[in-house]
Amino acid sequence: MKSTLAPLAALAVVATAAGADEVRVYNWSDYIDEALLEKFETETGLELIYDVFDSNEVLETKMLAGGSGYDVVVPSGTFLQRQIAAGAFQPLDFDKLPNSANLWDVIKDRTEQYDPGNAHSINYMWGTTGIAANVAKVAEALGEEGPLNSLALVFEPENMEKLQSCGVHFLDAPAELIPAALKYLGEDPDSHDPDVIAKAEPLLAAVRPYVLKFHSSEYINALANGDICVAIGWSGDVLQARDRAIEADNGVEIVYNAPVEGALMWFDQMAIPADAPNPEGAHTFLNFIMDAQNMADASNYVYFANGNLASQPLLEEDVIGDPAIYPDEATLENLYTTTPYPSKVQRVVTRMWTRIKSGT
Amino acid sequence: MTAPAEFSPWTDPSAKPLIRFTGVTKRFGDFTAIDNVDLDIFEKEFFALLGPSGCGKTTLMRMLAGFEMPTEGLIELDGQDIAPVPPNKRATNMMFQSYALFPHLSLRDNIAFGLHREKMPKDRIAARVDEMLKLVQLEPFASRKPHQISGGQRQRVALARCLAKAPKLLLLDEPLGALDRKLREETQFELMDIQEKTGTTFVIVTHDQEEAMTVASRVAVMDHGRLVQVATPAAIYETPNSTYVADFIGDVNIIEGKAEPGDGIMGIAWAEGQPNLTGASDLTLASGATVFMAIRPEKVRISAEKPEGAANAVAGKVLDIAYLGNISTYHVELPGGQVIKAQTANTDRIARRDFTWEDAVWLSWSATAGVVLER
Amino acid sequence: MRRALVIAVPYFWLLALFLVPFLIVLKISLSDTELAIPPYTPTLDLSEGWAGFRAFLAALDLENFTFLTTDDLYWKAYLSSLQIAVVSTFLTLLVGYPIAYGMARADEAWRPTLLMLVILPFWTSFLIRVYSWMGILSQEGYLNQLLVGLGVISEPLTILNTNTAVYIGIVYTYLPFMILPIYATLERMDASLLEAAEDLGCSRLSAFWLVTVPLSKSGIIAGCFLVFIPTIGEFVIPSLLGGSQTLMIGKVLWEEFFSNRDWPVASAVAVILLLILVIPIILFQRNEQRQREAEGK
Repeated sequence: MKSTLAPLAALAVVATAAGADEVRVYNWSDYIDEALLEKFETETGLELIYDVFDSNEVLETKMLAGGSGYDVVVPSGTFLQRQIAAGAFQPLDFDKLPNSANLWDVIKDRTEQYDPGNAHSINYMWGTTGIAANVAKVAEALGEEGPLNSLALVFEPENMEKLQSCGVHFLDAPAELIPAALKYLGEDPDSHDPDVIAKAEPLLAAVRPYVLKFHSSEYINALANGDICVAIGWSGDVLQARDRAIEADNGVEIVYNAPVEGALMWFDQMAIPADAPNPEGAHTFLNFIMDAQNMADASNYVYFANGNLASQPLLEEDVIGDPAIYPDEATLENLYTTTPYPSKVQRVVTRMWTRIKSGT
Repeated sequence: MTAPAEFSPWTDPSAKPLIRFTGVTKRFGDFTAIDNVDLDIFEKEFFALLGPSGCGKTTLMRMLAGFEMPTEGLIELDGQDIAPVPPNKRATNMMFQSYALFPHLSLRDNIAFGLHREKMPKDRIAARVDEMLKLVQLEPFASRKPHQISGGQRQRVALARCLAKAPKLLLLDEPLGALDRKLREETQFELMDIQEKTGTTFVIVTHDQEEAMTVASRVAVMDHGRLVQVATPAAIYETPNSTYVADFIGDVNIIEGKAEPGDGIMGIAWAEGQPNLTGASDLTLASGATVFMAIRPEKVRISAEKPEGAANAVAGKVLDIAYLGNISTYHVELPGGQVIKAQTANTDRIARRDFTWEDAVWLSWSATAGVVLER
Repeated sequence: MRRALVIAVPYFWLLALFLVPFLIVLKISLSDTELAIPPYTPTLDLSEGWAGFRAFLAALDLENFTFLTTDDLYWKAYLSSLQIAVVSTFLTLLVGYPIAYGMARADEAWRPTLLMLVILPFWTSFLIRVYSWMGILSQEGYLNQLLVGLGVISEPLTILNTNTAVYIGIVYTYLPFMILPIYATLERMDASLLEAAEDLGCSRLSAFWLVTVPLSKSGIIAGCFLVFIPTIGEFVIPSLLGGSQTLMIGKVLWEEFFSNRDWPVASAVAVILLLILVIPIILFQRNEQRQREAEGK
């Protein structure tokens, strides 16, 4: 649906792009405390137009088509790297970003592989891809011994067969699932070798019949409502589902675990498109977001870790103290990152993914 | 008229009717469409149901076809109660006012439609269809669709389609209503011809009295769900049993008065200071009861002087003259204000137009020319 | 002059809204993918004049179309789309015909209301209507709650994210496109035709098959095409209601475009989809024309 509306929306944005007093931000859905948006407008006097997307692919298509009309966008690391190569982003002017001093070196070191010198982007949030589970339903299906913190839960057919009746969702993101499968098999998760990548297929194909749906956002609600019992998903999203269930008081208890085998670490980076209508306003927005208090508010709201060291003292205990969000040293060691597939390999991956999903 | 003089089974008490209605009533909610009708229709009759719209004639026909069920009473076909027989199992066929030809089928297939339902062998169907096409003279158009032929041709296809199944009884609902006047008159004779050739019993519904008179062996005049009179066209015309029938069929003068019964003669006091009218009548009425005289305009003579020896003679003055070519109609106002029509045939070229507006004239007729009616 | 203008306007719209976009898609389908903005080459550069244009034409080739034949994914997706479109068109007909029939037979005073009820769902967003089906069909959704509550089933049924849900979604969404043309033909039909058929020996049922169905044929054909044509390329319904095994060309196209960033191949898929659709569209037009001729207009 977004695909059909996107060109129209883009057209509308371009047509009404009015210049210096407007900043247009395109971010992931459910990814900010809306109070911050109002705060930005009152503090800066700029009008903020805030749109959301729910897949990197949709964002990337707009970036590559050009003329998106946005001033700030939020691609994930691997997508950022490719889009920088295509010339989609402008280098940041750090003179206009005094709050960049607040950034956390630990994260900057890791994002450098996508954005050399961190010249085009700043980190907004980061997190892990792991396993969400509805405690009671998994216990009912697998007994108390169900391995909630292991990829075995979702990659072993005998487990999945039992979980099928209560519902399992996987992210519809081959770049996340294939590395996880390779990691489980003991291969290099960041391999770009088609022969290595091919090893993930039988593993995924074997559990695929028990997967109810491959989707990258529906699992939040589905988990919270108790429609499904297990999902491979992103840390903060799962924790949002957990909180929604608590709010709804429906007896659903959700836990998130980064798998003991190792979890994929990902980064969502804020960047300014090369053809942004208001780069000045875009810098103002980035600087605003890097303010320690603002970033802390954002994390406290969405339950994702951020790349802002100065914000850490301001984080609530259930954020900074939750190893699912800020992993301890040992887990952090165990996290891995991936780099984008070259286009030939990308086609192999997409094709394999289609085959896995459709069972053909 | 159409039927040979000797064809009158309704006068033969031993004749068995093809159709018999006994005490048939049909109600739609509170509305009584058919009110306690008794009627016999005989084989080979061409029977007309005549009446204004809403009189129940179509309902009566639809009960014969099976599309309506009587609320009360019995309808028999050949002595069998037909109530339990659905329309598709009845030995009757109906020709619809709209013709209801199947627009997606050729004329041939339209005519063959009912035969296919009987599971008749193909070659016999083909022969029968050819026979029917010949009967209605539409052979060259057999493969056309209904929308490719004229209204008159459609009417004939509809007739052929009904006749193809050789029904015991053919029902025709205003069959000529959609045709223009000239075509209608031609078709009336065609219908009679076909009826005679096939020997099928026809029941026709019409609101056109001329049509009914032309084609039918007997006519049933209906009003408000009742049969007012059932008789041959001549009897309906000459001896209507009520002013309703007299008025419905043809042109008539009706004069109301008080009865002064005599022996085989009815005197009618119709206006003060005027002599009574007299008419031959067997009615037994109390003296002073309301009575009507119905007299057809062509039976009224008009003259300048009071005629000698006329049973009825009244004076008046000419109000209006309608010259119709073959006849002239004089509208004459009587002293009471009533207007009486008198017709004269224009047999000479120099017409007897010796009367003109405002002339004082005498109207006269014999005792047997008018009909004395109770209601 | 004015006449020419009146004729020119619709052609201009056709040109602007159909032919030009199609030519753009066709052109991209003949290009090669590249990591750039836009992500394909060559792009038309008119600054070099005629020579530039010839160089541009020379760079186009049919490579992407040959590529489509090398992977069975594509023809499987086309076939599967066709199959889903055929089945759902049939199901829509099965559901829609009785509704149209009932409407046409309903009391005349009620017909505008019934017609309104059929059209009414169009007044809300298509997306919201499909989303509400997710609420109805999900594991803990209203349908399962109802069936479990009534004791019809003991375990909730898995309907959402299966082909069944896709069929339900398509039938629901496109039902009015089936009902309206059938209703239009049935409503025009003279009721005495059925009486005539019965009078000539048909049972109610055979009168329906021999008279009602043939006479509503043009409505059935129109309705089927109106459902079939958009269903082949349907994307939203299978994405939202379908499971991962629902293979449709719309989704494959999406993946080519978004996941592979391969605009040229995606465009080639779209061009072929369009060519596949041209056949039923021409048949549809012919049916409409024949219908008009039959009515003598």
